[in-house]
Amino acid sequence: MALRARPGPVDTFVQSVVSGVLTGSLYAMIGVGLTVVFGVMRIINLAHGELVMLGMYGAFWAHALWKLDPFVSIALWVPLMFGGGMLVYRFLLRPIIPGGELNTLLYTAGFSLLIANLALFAWTGDYRTIKLPYAITPLRPFGIAVPIPLAIAFALAIVITAALYLFLSRTDPGRAIRATSQNPEAAALMGIDVERISMLTFGLGSALAGAAGVLLAPSLYLYPTVGEILIAKCFVIVVLGGLGSVSGAIAGGVLLGLVESLGAVYVSVAYKDTIGFIMFLLVLLFRPSGLFGVGKS
Amino acid sequence: MPLLTVADLTKDFGGLRAVSRLSFDAEPGEILGLIGPNGAGKTTVFNLVTGFLRPTAGRILLAGRSVVGLRPHAITRRGIARTFQVVKPFPRLSVRENVTLAAFSHEAARGRAERLAAQVLERVGLQDKLDSRAADLTLGEQKRLEIARALATDPRLLLLDEPMGGLNPREVNAACALVEQIRADGVSVILVEHVMKAIMRISNRIVVIHHGEKIADGPPERVVNDPGVIAAYLGTRVV
Amino acid sequence: MTRGSAGAAVLVLVLVPPLLTSNPFLLHLAITVLLWTLLGAAWNLLGGFAGQVSFGHSTFFGVGAYTTMILYLKGGLAPWYGMVLGGMVAVLVSLPIGLICFRLRGPYFSLSTLAVAEIVRLVALNWEGLTNGPVGLLITTLPRVVWGGWTLNWESKVPFYYMIAILALASMLATYRLSRARLGAYLLAIREDEDAAESVGIDTVRAKVLTLALSAFFTGLGGGFYGLYFRYVDPDAVFPIALSVEMVFIAVVGGLATVIGPVIGAVFLTTIGEMFRERFLVGHLIFYGLFMMLVIRYLPEGIWGGTRRAWAKRP
Repeated sequence: MALRARPGPVDTFVQSVVSGVLTGSLYAMIGVGLTVVFGVMRIINLAHGELVMLGMYGAFWAHALWKLDPFVSIALWVPLMFGGGMLVYRFLLRPIIPGGELNTLLYTAGFSLLIANLALFAWTGDYRTIKLPYAITPLRPFGIAVPIPLAIAFALAIVITAALYLFLSRTDPGRAIRATSQNPEAAALMGIDVERISMLTFGLGSALAGAAGVLLAPSLYLYPTVGEILIAKCFVIVVLGGLGSVSGAIAGGVLLGLVESLGAVYVSVAYKDTIGFIMFLLVLLFRPSGLFGVGKS
Repeated sequence: MPLLTVADLTKDFGGLRAVSRLSFDAEPGEILGLIGPNGAGKTTVFNLVTGFLRPTAGRILLAGRSVVGLRPHAITRRGIARTFQVVKPFPRLSVRENVTLAAFSHEAARGRAERLAAQVLERVGLQDKLDSRAADLTLGEQKRLEIARALATDPRLLLLDEPMGGLNPREVNAACALVEQIRADGVSVILVEHVMKAIMRISNRIVVIHHGEKIADGPPERVVNDPGVIAAYLGTRVV
Repeated sequence: MTRGSAGAAVLVLVLVPPLLTSNPFLLHLAITVLLWTLLGAAWNLLGGFAGQVSFGHSTFFGVGAYTTMILYLKGGLAPWYGMVLGGMVAVLVSLPIGLICFRLRGPYFSLSTLAVAEIVRLVALNWEGLTNGPVGLLITTLPRVVWGGWTLNWESKVPFYYMIAILALASMLATYRLSRARLGAYLLAIREDEDAAESVGIDTVRAKVLTLALSAFFTGLGGGFYGLYFRYVDPDAVFPIALSVEMVFIAVVGGLATVIGPVIGAVFLTTIGEMFRERFLVGHLIFYGLFMMLVIRYLPEGIWGGTRRAWAKRP
């Protein structure tokens, strides 16, 4: 296409910043889910990526079977994931936690493998996509291409994250979650039912993972083991932001989105994921409380 | 020459100065008490001397040789052993194995290391518990197990971090006798302790620290009447 | 049973199967079980004894596999020598990884090994000059081996069976020796409490790095064998996270820090998995996940550890 003007260096930069922030907002949502759970229970939930995967398939099937727009189906899947998460905590995780953090880690690894392979068994390993009529032509504000599904997902991610922020800062259960996260013993002494709060938090984390999955579904290929890649990214995010810190996870998510999209343009497409992992290792080794110094080491 | 020399020892955590230009000596054959209000920096001093923390500044010499920068296991092998404020036994291993592991630091053969462990365990009165799991011992027994483990490394200097915390009066008496016996066997002791009666009774000398700084250093009876020390304990009488 | 007769029994148990059957599926199953025994035992050295849960052992497997393949395809070195060299290269790779990751403890160590493994996988995927990238490396013919006029048949599974049987036995022997050695005792101390281990004079970093190297050596051998047996490697086959995770599962389900545990784990999980795969093609790891959850909840010492305890307590 000789006639089309090549994008200038500034356009390329702005374009990759925009797509980095858009993807990053969804990463942030996944990271927030993992980090609140870690904050309250000190569990690193290796099955978190599979919860995102379930959200993605939820959106896919709602669209394929009931012709439901994926972004509408979020109203169905979020409460379901929330309830499911609470049940998982109550009946599966709670009896394990006293066995120590490594046992819990291995247990969630088992859970992750179980869910991913049940999904593989039920839905095969085929790559699937959700084809939306409004996904064909992107928006072009100021000449920057913004895919409509990603824009909607971004807007919803902001709404959901803001709602979560309000919940954590303005409501009693939200404050109880934050108090438990800061100091479980003190929280228990002040009459907070740590068990109930843990269950609530795990439900919340699962709901966030599911919501992120639904929002991501129209923009990604989906397949049963996609959680494996997502969880790896998720660790990068929460460690960058400081484990246990909600605002850190949001910043970490956007940062990873930016690093990936800028890295793909300015370093190499092949190694864009490597940059994230190297940052992850450096932060773990030299700034275990996260780049912003707010997490728990 | 003093056995241990701590000079101008300083440790910062971020912006917080936990230990500030602290200097003291421990002489051979001495029981030195290290006291101070909660958060004064006593455990931090132990962690610095044993290499679990790296000092921001200052010197730590064992018999004239610097141990700064050595990792904890190397310091143990130089002759400084320690116990922990919150006991850290190897919970799922037997009492005998707990102490044998320590004896390995200077005795490579398992048979001899095990015999050495049995001897040390007898000294602390745990000879009937050789095959119990460490996790199954009472707190008092676990504290003695930690002392045995430290002794089995054949130390010249033993740092005891609250060996009497949480013990009943009878156990405290036994622990005092044990510490005095350890000194009689030629091992110097530095003792951090909140059980004041005990520390007054067995220490040859007491160093008091407050906010990471030394505020008194001398024999127990003099330190206890020091106005600065009394003020540091918020006006409450020490004994 | 004396140690000698136990050894003889194991030897017979291992040597006999190919004489009883020539069914390729059964032999393939036996080879798979033994390969996983080797990998589970290798992982167990570090994970079981020292309590250091690595989620990155696929790195050593992949490095072993690629070393063997590359040396054969590009240098003409017979793959059985290549396997040993593969183990050694895995050891070399393990040293910097150990020095970096062992600065972290508990779950943080686990996450860091996961990150390193992903970095290594991405490098293998993109360093096309060395690894041929996603296309992978293929062995078309194996070198001819003649012993006194008898030519080894590479199309049969029997030579592979004996090869992997020897490797698996070697890994079990190493586990046994470690459990008797001072290093083994140090590792248990590290598993129980790292600070306390340092305080009694144990150089914890050295102990862990040495053990990781040993573990990497056996894992690398396993990778080399994989390349030789399947004659094909690509990054998705030998470097995935799932592979690391499977090693963990075999060791944990079988019984941590035991000689027999990884065999039990491998027999149990691999047999169920392969039978499931034979019938349904996908999803055979369902049982891995399920048994991991059951074992952690009801039998934290693993199948073998739990059985042994119950046996010791019998009236």
